[in-house]
Amino acid sequence: MAKEDQLVADGEVQVVAFKLRNEEYGFSILNVQEIKNLSDITRVPFAPDFIKGVVNLRGSVLPVIDLKKRLGLEDTPYTANTRIVIVQYDEVYVGMLVDAVTEVRTINADDIDTTRAITAGSDAGSKFISGIGKVDGRLIIQLNISEIMGLSGEE
Amino acid sequence: METNQYMEMFLDESREHLQSLNDGLLSLENDPEDLSVLNEIFRNAHTLKGMSATMGYTKTAELTHDMENLLDMLRKEQLKVSSEIIDVIFKCVDSLQEMVENIGNGESEDLVDVSDLVRMVNAIAKGESVQQAGNEASGGAPAAAKPAAAAGMPEGCELNDTDMLVIKEAKSSGLIPYWVHVEIADTCLLKSARSYMVMNVLDELGDVIKSIPPAQDLEQEKFDHSFDVCLVTDADAKKVEDGVVAISEISGVKVTEINLEEAPKEAPAPAAASKAAAPAAAPAAKPAAKASANNAKHDKKAHVAGQSVRVDIEKLDTLMNLVGELVTNKVRLEQIGMTHRLTELTETLEQMDRVTTDLQSVVMKVRMVPVSQVFNRFPRMVRDLAKELNKDINLTIEGEDTELDRTVIDEIGDPLMHLLRNSLDHGVEHPDEREAKGKPRTGEVGLIARHEGNNVVIMVTDDGSGINADKIRNKAVEKGMISRDEADALPDADAVRLIFLPGFSTAEQITDVSGRGVGMDVVRSKIESLGGHVDVETKIDEGSVFKIKLPLTLAIIQAMLVKVQDEMYAIPLGSIDSTINITPDDIKTVQNKEVIVIRGQIIPITRLNEVLSVPKGKESTDEDDIFVVVVHVGDHKIGIVVDNLIGQQEIVIKTLGKLLSGLKMLAGATILGDGHVAMILDVSALV
Repeated sequence: MAKEDQLVADGEVQVVAFKLRNEEYGFSILNVQEIKNLSDITRVPFAPDFIKGVVNLRGSVLPVIDLKKRLGLEDTPYTANTRIVIVQYDEVYVGMLVDAVTEVRTINADDIDTTRAITAGSDAGSKFISGIGKVDGRLIIQLNISEIMGLSGEE
Repeated sequence: METNQYMEMFLDESREHLQSLNDGLLSLENDPEDLSVLNEIFRNAHTLKGMSATMGYTKTAELTHDMENLLDMLRKEQLKVSSEIIDVIFKCVDSLQEMVENIGNGESEDLVDVSDLVRMVNAIAKGESVQQAGNEASGGAPAAAKPAAAAGMPEGCELNDTDMLVIKEAKSSGLIPYWVHVEIADTCLLKSARSYMVMNVLDELGDVIKSIPPAQDLEQEKFDHSFDVCLVTDADAKKVEDGVVAISEISGVKVTEINLEEAPKEAPAPAAASKAAAPAAAPAAKPAAKASANNAKHDKKAHVAGQSVRVDIEKLDTLMNLVGELVTNKVRLEQIGMTHRLTELTETLEQMDRVTTDLQSVVMKVRMVPVSQVFNRFPRMVRDLAKELNKDINLTIEGEDTELDRTVIDEIGDPLMHLLRNSLDHGVEHPDEREAKGKPRTGEVGLIARHEGNNVVIMVTDDGSGINADKIRNKAVEKGMISRDEADALPDADAVRLIFLPGFSTAEQITDVSGRGVGMDVVRSKIESLGGHVDVETKIDEGSVFKIKLPLTLAIIQAMLVKVQDEMYAIPLGSIDSTINITPDDIKTVQNKEVIVIRGQIIPITRLNEVLSVPKGKESTDEDDIFVVVVHVGDHKIGIVVDNLIGQQEIVIKTLGKLLSGLKMLAGATILGDGHVAMILDVSALV
C-alpha cells in the first residue's frame, strides 16, 4: 500500500473533503485536479455499474464514477450541491460524483488512523479506505483513489 | 557548436537520405547502366557525409566517405556495377541506418562495428573481387583532411574541413574547384530570383559546395548586390562565366580557381569583393559549420520544391482538440444568440462559422500523409526476401501519393508487411514451378492504394498459386475450428476467409518468413481496430488479392445520429447501407429471429434499446413508426431499429480512456454541438 505514503508525508496532509450522504470523505489534494458543477452525464452501455457515465470536460470525454455506488452506499437524488470532483491518478483522469464538497482541510498525520480494524467488517472498507482523519471532532474518511478507479488490479 | 537543436533535423534528413539510397540502389540493381540513378545515389551519400561530419559523427562520416569512393568509381565506370558490389553497398546502408538510429536513441554510433565493412569497401575500390575483399586487411581509413587556408576566395569566408575534403576529392578526380563571384545589377528588383537562376546554372555545371551568404539568405534577399559561390565542376572557368553572364541583370562575374595547398595564410585575397578588412584567420569553426549545414540543406532544396516544416504529431492532436472545442463553444454561442434574439451576435457568429469550418478542414489536411511513407520501405524488403526464398519477384507499387491520416499510416505498416510476406512466401511459386504452369518465371506482386468513396483501399496482389479452398476447409476441420458439415456447406469465397480466424496457418512447413500461426488473424484485428476491413479474393493458379479498406481519417468521420429513448448514438456513415421507415407489420420472424425484407433481401434486425439495455425515456415513442438503419460489414447486413433519425453530421472521435477501454459495441464517443457526449457504435460488433 505504497499509495498511502503520499497522504502521510511531511507530518500533515491536505485533503479535499466532501460529503456522501451523512458521512464526510476526503481525497488527497495532490490527486484532485478540479471541482466541476454537475452537467449532463451520458450513460455508457456495458460499462461497470459503478461508472455513472461520461461528461464533456472541455472537449475531452471524462468517465464519472458514482462514488456512493462504488462504496456500497445508498443512492440519493442530485441536489444543487452535487459536484463532480475530478481526480488524477497515474495519468488517468476520472470524475467522482459526490453530494457536496465541504472544504479543503489540513490534517495532522498523527490524527489519521490507519487501523484496519474499524472497517474490517465491510468488504468495501478495507479496500477503498486508506485511513480516517480526525479534525475538530469530525471524521474524514480518506479514500484510496487507485482502488476506487479499479486500476490497481482486477475487479 | 550547439548541435542539439539540429539533432532532430539531422536525424530526419539522414533517414530520408538513407531511404533514397535504398530506393536508388534498388533501381540501380534493376538497371545497372543508368548513370542518372548512380549520380542520385552519389549525391545522397555525399550529403549524408557532409551532415554527419558537421554533427561530429566521424564514424558515420567515414563509412559514408568510403562508400562514396566506391560509388564514385562506379560512376566513372572504373568499376562495373555487379550484384556483389550492390550487396556490399546495401550492407553499408544498413549499418549507417543502425548508426543513425543509435544516435537517435542517444547511444554512441560506435556500437555498430563497421571495420570489416570498411575493409571490404576499400578492397573493392582497389579492384579486388568481393570474395577477396572479405579476407583482405584494412585498406587504410581515409586521412582526415587538415584544415587549410585556401587561396582564391574572398576574405572572411572560410571553408571548413568537410568542404576541404570535398574540394580535395574533386581535385583528385579531375574536377576543378572555383570561387564564383557574382554581381547583380543595382537596378535589379528581384535579387533572390536572379540568385536562384545563377544557382540553377551552376548546379547544372557542377556541384555547388557552398555559397556566401548561405543559400537560405540568398532566397530571402539577405545580401547586397553580390554573392560568392564555391563550385566544383569539370567545365572550365570560361564556360562557368558565360553561363552566369547569360542571365539578365547580372552585371559582373569573376571566376577564380581555388588553390588549396599553395595558399600561404597571409596571402592577400585576390580581386574578390573584400569590403571590410576582416582578419584572414577569422574564427572558423562556428560560421563554417553553419555554412556547411546550409550547404547540405541547399543540396536538398534542389530536389524538393516548396517549403515545409516538421511538426510533432502531438502538437497536431492538441491543435485538433482545440479546434473541436472552438466549434463546440461556437455552437453554444449560437444557441445564446437564438434564445435572446441577438441578431448582431448571430451575424458575427455566421462569419465565425466559416472561419472555424476552414480551420477544421486545414487541420485535418495537415494530418494527412501520403502512403508512400509506409510503402517506400517495402521494395527493399521484397528484394531481400525474394533473394532469400530464391524467387524472382517484381514488385509494382501504385498510388503511393494517396493520403491517409497520420495515425492510420503509423499502424498500417506491420499488417501490410505481413500480407506482402505471405504473398511472397505462400503466393508466388518458385520460378521452375511457374514455368511448368506456363507462367513467366518472374512473379508479379502488386501494392496498390487508391481512394474509394470515403475510404482508402490498399490492395496486395500476386499472380501466384492462389488459395485452395478445400485445403483451407480441411485445415479448419482438422484444427477443430468448424465441423466437417459446416465446412462443406461453406461456399469457396467464405471458406477462404477462414484464414482470418485466430490460430490458422496453412504453410505446410513453418518458415521464418511467415507461417507461425499468428498471421492473418493479427492482420485482421489490427485493420479492424483501425476501423477498417480486410477481405481476400483468390483464384487457383491465377493469384490472390488482399483488399484492405480503411477510413480516410480516424479523427473525424461522417456519422448518422440516431435517438433511442432519451439517448443519442452515432453510427459511422461508412457502414450505413440505407435507412428505411417501416411499420410493425413489416417485421417477420424466422426461427424466432426478427427479420425484414428489403428489395427481396432478407435482413435480420436488432433492436438497439434491447441490445444496449437503454432505460425507458420520458417521451413515449411512436410504436407504429419504426426507423431501421441498415448497416453492413463486408457482405453481411443487419438492420438496427432506432426510435428516431436525427441527421448526418461530422463528428470528432474521442477515446473513452483507460477506464472504459475494450467495451463491446462502442467505438468511442463524440461531443455534439450542444456539448453533450454521444457514444459511437461499433457496427462490426453488432453484425
